[in-house]
Amino acid sequence: MAAGATYEPIATTTLSSNQNDITFSSIPSTYTDLVIVFNGKSTNAGSSSNGMRCRVNSDTGSNYSQTNLNGNGSTTSSSRDTSITYFEFGEIAQTDNTAPSQNIMHIMNYANTTTFKTILCRADTATVVTKAIVSLYRSTNAITSVTLSRDFGTNQIKAGSTATLYGIAAA
Amino acid sequence: MASGRITKVKGKVLDIPNPPTIGTATAGGESVSIAFTADSSGKGGPTRSYIAKSNPGNITATGSTSPINVTGLTVGTSYTVSVAGVNETGTSEYSSASNSAIPIVGSSYESIATITVGSGGQTGVTFSSIPSTFTHLQIRCFTRDDRPGTNINNLHLEINGDTTTNYGSHSIRATGSSLLATGDASQPAIDVTLEPGATATANVFAGTIYDILDYTNTNKYKTVRSLGGYDLNGAGWVVFQSGLWRSTNAINSIKLYCSSTRAFVQYSHFALYGIKGA
Repeated sequence: MAAGATYEPIATTTLSSNQNDITFSSIPSTYTDLVIVFNGKSTNAGSSSNGMRCRVNSDTGSNYSQTNLNGNGSTTSSSRDTSITYFEFGEIAQTDNTAPSQNIMHIMNYANTTTFKTILCRADTATVVTKAIVSLYRSTNAITSVTLSRDFGTNQIKAGSTATLYGIAAA
Repeated sequence: MASGRITKVKGKVLDIPNPPTIGTATAGGESVSIAFTADSSGKGGPTRSYIAKSNPGNITATGSTSPINVTGLTVGTSYTVSVAGVNETGTSEYSSASNSAIPIVGSSYESIATITVGSGGQTGVTFSSIPSTFTHLQIRCFTRDDRPGTNINNLHLEINGDTTTNYGSHSIRATGSSLLATGDASQPAIDVTLEPGATATANVFAGTIYDILDYTNTNKYKTVRSLGGYDLNGAGWVVFQSGLWRSTNAINSIKLYCSSTRAFVQYSHFALYGIKGA
């Protein structure tokens, strides 16, 4: 079996000021899976956390859905959203939370043009919640850009937050 | 200098090509990737391949298209790269040098093997002769099977061809409205993660990531954990799973199968990776 080094960093962003979103664009199609690691907070007031949202290919249509598993230290729950205009990239800690959120997203087989895209996410805001999420992007288009946002609305991703995009290539 | 050389191919007089136009050099793990643009003058006929050469070191790599990755470089050393074209007559002069790039420490995560299911489907896939040079393994799956009438099919993992009841597992499954915890002891495989079947929403495949920890250790039983699931825009599952193979043997092969009578469908994809320790 031939082996080759992979899990390569493609791009990293560290916000120097509050921003509406973080976008990775012109993603090369040369990998098999993508991984995005996020560490940060939002500008939402408070010390809890909110959902963090994601779109791909700038697609604002109702082409996303998701199934969640949640645990908050005392209760567990599961929820589902269908035909929504984004999918959740875990949680994002509010501005006064002592713990930033840490989210890892796996976009499986992102460059193929035959199947819909399945996304696995493992997310934690240590003081609030831990989550696992599976999401679906109902498109056979290859994914060439990914946009992360607090809510695609008025709240922002806080300065100092970081996001790194990795590519994993199969042999 | 190689200019001025000509040759005849099927009655045509060919010259060596012009060098390509150098592009941007980008540092990678003990490597530099060099982009370039092929010469468009048509001189010498088709360029068959390209040679990229580092400076310092004169370490070369070949390729048929841009970019070319020059590997085996020293971390922390500043390199430029030049590229030459090759046709049936010979090798062009090298291009001008690229910008400087400094290789970084390489990844400890390596691709070992990949299996993609073809149009006929496949009842199981096996990674065999797995090298023992890593610390952990990871398998990343993108799967669907041909079982009709359901969307809750198990994906089984078998180790070293062991079909006896040496496996156990526990899982937490989320349905979108409730949670289900399961446990299985003395099973013939680790069989917790899920995938959609033939009548599930078209084009949807499950994603599953298996971590197989300390797989060459001969003093411990082997733990296999996974995160997996699929969403059908109205149905589906997300699953955490922990499995055990009660053997102290080093793992050298892994088989994944959906059931003895069913097959993974076309485009199902399995990739095995190794992760090194320091």
